[in-house]
Amino acid sequence: MDIISQLQEQVNTIAALAFNTFGTLQRDAPPVRLSPNYRDPVAPLSDDTINIAEQPKLMSAALVQAAKQFDMLVSALPLSEGGEEAQFRRITELEAENEAVGEELQMQLEAAEEELRQVQELFKQAADNCLNLKRPD
Amino acid sequence: MATSSSYPPPPPFYRLYADYQEDAKSAPEPPPPVQGAYPLFGANYTTEDVLPTLEDQGVRQLYPKGPNIDYKKELKALNRDLQLHLLELADVLVERPSQYARRVEDISLIFKNLHHLLNSLRPHQARATLIHILELQIQRRRRPRREEAQRLLKESLQILDGHPN
Repeated sequence: MDIISQLQEQVNTIAALAFNTFGTLQRDAPPVRLSPNYRDPVAPLSDDTINIAEQPKLMSAALVQAAKQFDMLVSALPLSEGGEEAQFRRITELEAENEAVGEELQMQLEAAEEELRQVQELFKQAADNCLNLKRPD
Repeated sequence: MATSSSYPPPPPFYRLYADYQEDAKSAPEPPPPVQGAYPLFGANYTTEDVLPTLEDQGVRQLYPKGPNIDYKKELKALNRDLQLHLLELADVLVERPSQYARRVEDISLIFKNLHHLLNSLRPHQARATLIHILELQIQRRRRPRREEAQRLLKESLQILDGHPN
């Protein structure tokens, strides 16, 4: 995939990681004490609570990793300096060169076709001679 | 033209082409191609293919305007901005959860700017691809095909000469 599409994919990945992270946090957050009049909510220690503590770390690590990947891709962009005008100039130069090389090739082609015709003529004569020699008397 | 009936009749200008077989010039020419903007099925389309600027879409532009944008620098700056905004959102959700909307808006603004910057790189990519193709073509054309052809020619002449006539 070309680099710009990769960059676009990476932006979408970062977005997906971000909202997945926040969504998971909102869904899995344990209850919190709101007022000093009520006692602490019961938070039983189990496998689930351990996972809930681990997940934000893993997901934020993935998010930072994705952001670093994006930076790396941006550094790998092959942006030639000079902008639009420089590119247009290069395109016109290359077109002119292509035209010249094309004409040269055309001339070579015509010369080659002429030689081919001559060789074919010679072959025809040689074949005729062979046939003449082999004519039964 | 009857646009609202369920079985509309054919357009009436078919009668103009009655004598087309005998005389091709008696019928009208096809209409010239459309230029500018045209409506189609209720939507407006334009014949010019240009990426609309962010202001046209009503989105604030976060990176500086100007003729030559340093894409790498702006992309990296936007990336850092994005990470900071995500951290801010996490903070706001802890401290003042009811004020999330502004932060979420900011984050989506950054994403829109990011995508717009990447889209505006596409014309540059198209021109670079064109340059590459032209260079390859010139290289291919210059490759010595003539030597190959002359070698074959010499061989065939040798065969002719060597053959007992």
